[in-house]
Amino acid sequence: MPCAEGSRVQAYFDAEVDAVAAADIERHTAGCPECRALLEDLEATRTLIRREAHYGHAPPLLRERITRMLDQETASPLQRQDRPRLPAWRTRPFWFGALGGIGAAVAATTAFFLLFATVPDAFLDEVVAAHVRSLMPAHLTDVVSTDQHTVKPWFAGHADVSPVVADFTPQGYRLVGGRADYIDGRRVAVVVYQHGPHIINVFTWASRHGSARVTTRNGYHVVFWGAGNLEYCAVSDAGWQELQGLVGLLRALDARDARE
Amino acid sequence: MPHLDAAHRFARWLSRSPGEADDIVQEAFLRAFRGFDALRGSDAKGWLLAIVRNCHASAFRQEQRRAQVPLPDSDDVQLECATSDAAADPQSVSIERDDQRCLERLIAGLSEEHREVLLLREMEEMSYREIAAVTQLPIGTVMSRLARARVALKLQWLQESAGEPHAVR
Repeated sequence: MPCAEGSRVQAYFDAEVDAVAAADIERHTAGCPECRALLEDLEATRTLIRREAHYGHAPPLLRERITRMLDQETASPLQRQDRPRLPAWRTRPFWFGALGGIGAAVAATTAFFLLFATVPDAFLDEVVAAHVRSLMPAHLTDVVSTDQHTVKPWFAGHADVSPVVADFTPQGYRLVGGRADYIDGRRVAVVVYQHGPHIINVFTWASRHGSARVTTRNGYHVVFWGAGNLEYCAVSDAGWQELQGLVGLLRALDARDARE
Repeated sequence: MPHLDAAHRFARWLSRSPGEADDIVQEAFLRAFRGFDALRGSDAKGWLLAIVRNCHASAFRQEQRRAQVPLPDSDDVQLECATSDAAADPQSVSIERDDQRCLERLIAGLSEEHREVLLLREMEEMSYREIAAVTQLPIGTVMSRLARARVALKLQWLQESAGEPHAVR
């Protein structure tokens, strides 16, 4: 007949109880052989699993397959139809809701950028790598400020271009700071925004191809657009709508500056 | 790619087949990507694992329909360890590898509902609350399943090691 405290002992073993309860359970266990044996069993099964289970990485081929699939998913609506048809169970109404909402949003944003000039893939890799690098400790910003009047002049001395900079905190995009980066043989200006837990890097350089494009690389969303003689690129792990929100704000600001 | 390894581990434990696990994970990432904006809060891993679980369930149902034979999902313990294929070529396989395969057989003997809570707790080190979120179960059910899963694993392990004089406990 197992001890009635068994469930609490398990919770204690799984570190799910507070200090007071833990002390109480320890007192009980000291006088209860049943529960001491239970603790030993719990420890033994845990050791067995953690020692012998396969903790290895997912196969590299699978990683590649998924990366390709996600890249293709946003490459263009036309290409998307070329994808091999999914088996029946994969098109069940289960995710029609999600697809209806999000898919429409993605399609709309894709349509928004009707120009599909190509960005060289190596360049795309570099931008995404720069974004990932920026997330390493102490790599994010060279100038930390939520004041656009501090960030913008800073670029004059540190980058070849002067990007549009603004703090969109009321709209949910906080200006974190700026950074100079080196991509594809030129100095680029990077303005860093934060949206919720997501960091968004907006890269700017003097325009070479001026293409507009949305895509995904290694799970990061990437948006390219041109404005005046500058080219912009926003990279983030934020959702499409969130990222497009910031892009919309920046484009509007650029358009206003151009009129003035 | 965030949490790919965890997703793959989970899919493997659920499906017990590496090939099937790959398909499940790929489908899960597609669903996750398309529903990215539905992610609220910061527990991306739990959210992704819940999607993996759904994908596995869909694949499993599909498989059942095709086979027209219900697969066993009871708590019956199947004692397969230390039998035929482990004994077949004892020299050629390293002990460690053997242990790993043995654990896989032990795990395979558990019901699916026991396997999943055990994996989420012991390998992914998730809290009861997080496990409850992934499995859509009340926390009390998570706790009782976890307790039963641990007992079932221990029983299988004991019966298996009964055949080996030097085995643990």
